Amino acid sequence: MKRKIVASMLLVSFGALSTLYMAHARKPFTKEEIELMNKELLELVKKGDELWHSPKLGTNGLTCANCHPDAAFSNPNTFPKFQPNLGKVATFREMVNWCITRPLEGKALPEDSEEMRALEAYAYYMYRGKKLMPGDNTKAHPPVKVKEGPGYP
Amino acid sequence: MERKGLTRRQFISASTKVGSALFTASALAPLTGVVDIVEAKTSKRSKLQDFRFVVIGDTHLYDIPNHRFDKTFQRAVQDINNMNPKPDFVIFIGDLGQFGKRSELEKGYRFLQQLKVPYRIVPGEHDWYLDMGEAWKQMFGNPFWSFDHKGVHFIGMNSILVRDYWTMRNMSPEERMNAIAELECHICGLWGVREEQLEWLERDVKKLRPDTPIVIITHSPLWDYYPRWNFQTEDAPQIRKILSKFEKVIAIHGHVHQVVFNKIGNMVSIGNLATAWPWPYPDVKLPYPDIVMHRVDPGDIYDGVGFMHVDLDKSFNGKAMYDVWADLLPPKVKQGVKL
Repeated sequence: MKRKIVASMLLVSFGALSTLYMAHARKPFTKEEIELMNKELLELVKKGDELWHSPKLGTNGLTCANCHPDAAFSNPNTFPKFQPNLGKVATFREMVNWCITRPLEGKALPEDSEEMRALEAYAYYMYRGKKLMPGDNTKAHPPVKVKEGPGYP
Repeated sequence: MERKGLTRRQFISASTKVGSALFTASALAPLTGVVDIVEAKTSKRSKLQDFRFVVIGDTHLYDIPNHRFDKTFQRAVQDINNMNPKPDFVIFIGDLGQFGKRSELEKGYRFLQQLKVPYRIVPGEHDWYLDMGEAWKQMFGNPFWSFDHKGVHFIGMNSILVRDYWTMRNMSPEERMNAIAELECHICGLWGVREEQLEWLERDVKKLRPDTPIVIITHSPLWDYYPRWNFQTEDAPQIRKILSKFEKVIAIHGHVHQVVFNKIGNMVSIGNLATAWPWPYPDVKLPYPDIVMHRVDPGDIYDGVGFMHVDLDKSFNGKAMYDVWADLLPPKVKQGVKL
């Protein structure tokens, strides 16, 4: 519901702007719009954080966080890249499903599911500001340094 | 050494300068104090014998039958039982279970019973915070202890004690346990051994001579590695101070699930692998960047995990060998880490 309100608010303002400034850049988002969009994102990040630490993705009690505390070395900034264990160039979502089906012994998530989007949101948010390096298989990449709290506002 | 103000090395070097011909009991007779040192030291050191012990831990058993972590733990037990030369004993370095359940600890107890040599054990946070160590203590006794073996003084401590984070939050025992079961628990605070054990440690080592070889076992590292994941012990500085009178202290810890090494003052410190899963390296500069492990294949339950054995010689030189099943170790670590 809330998401629909945000979306329609944004649509209305985009619509109004696009007729006024057809050939020009749009007006920057207002502070309120940015706050609303961030709030939406952080809600998904929080949901992803909960899932990341939840055994319900698998069948053997393990969670993503068993091997990736603070999303460490999930390396979302390096995807897409060739994954030897998948035998192809894989997206981050495909890698998440590999982890769910192998180490966690669970069932793959539909790649466009709310759960998958949440896991992706959490991992990427923990790597905010990090260099985008698609294809990099040379090293492990650390997430943002977290001193306290879950790692996001 | 401290009380006489002369180390063995200084003494030997001084006596060499005087000349070995003069270095006789009669020449030293008036200096009875010095003679005492030499004799006492010799006798202390001569008590030392070569021996091997094993360190295993972070088995994180779940209350699920035929779990993957049962397999790695049992493989390790089998390897330990087949080891040649045989270890004199095994140290279990904490986190036997995952959620502190009696059923997990009992499964672990049964696996440990399969060892053909005796074992000593310290707790990890995963063993403790469901019932505040009740089941663990019933099964394994006091969580801190010391014993002497072939001239070496072994100390084990419970390093996972935190300040109360649950009462104010009205958490159930399960919620308390689930919170600390996350490495990045951000409400749990820093771990330590706390006052009672610091006082005990002080009493325990009070009468020991400074040349006594010391091995100290804790679940968490006795140095500030990465506090966010409790790769630390809050009162480690006090522990190191109490042990600072000794010539050499070998500290062994679990919890990090990885190959890691450090030296602080008289203490060399080495981390043990888990049999369950490996942790990534935190984003800090390692004090000994050569002593690490390779990238792990997450599709192989036997990769990135293992245990360790330590060989000690008559001069208290130690060599730690990581026992692994995959191609995990760089050549330098494969040869054994000098302790």
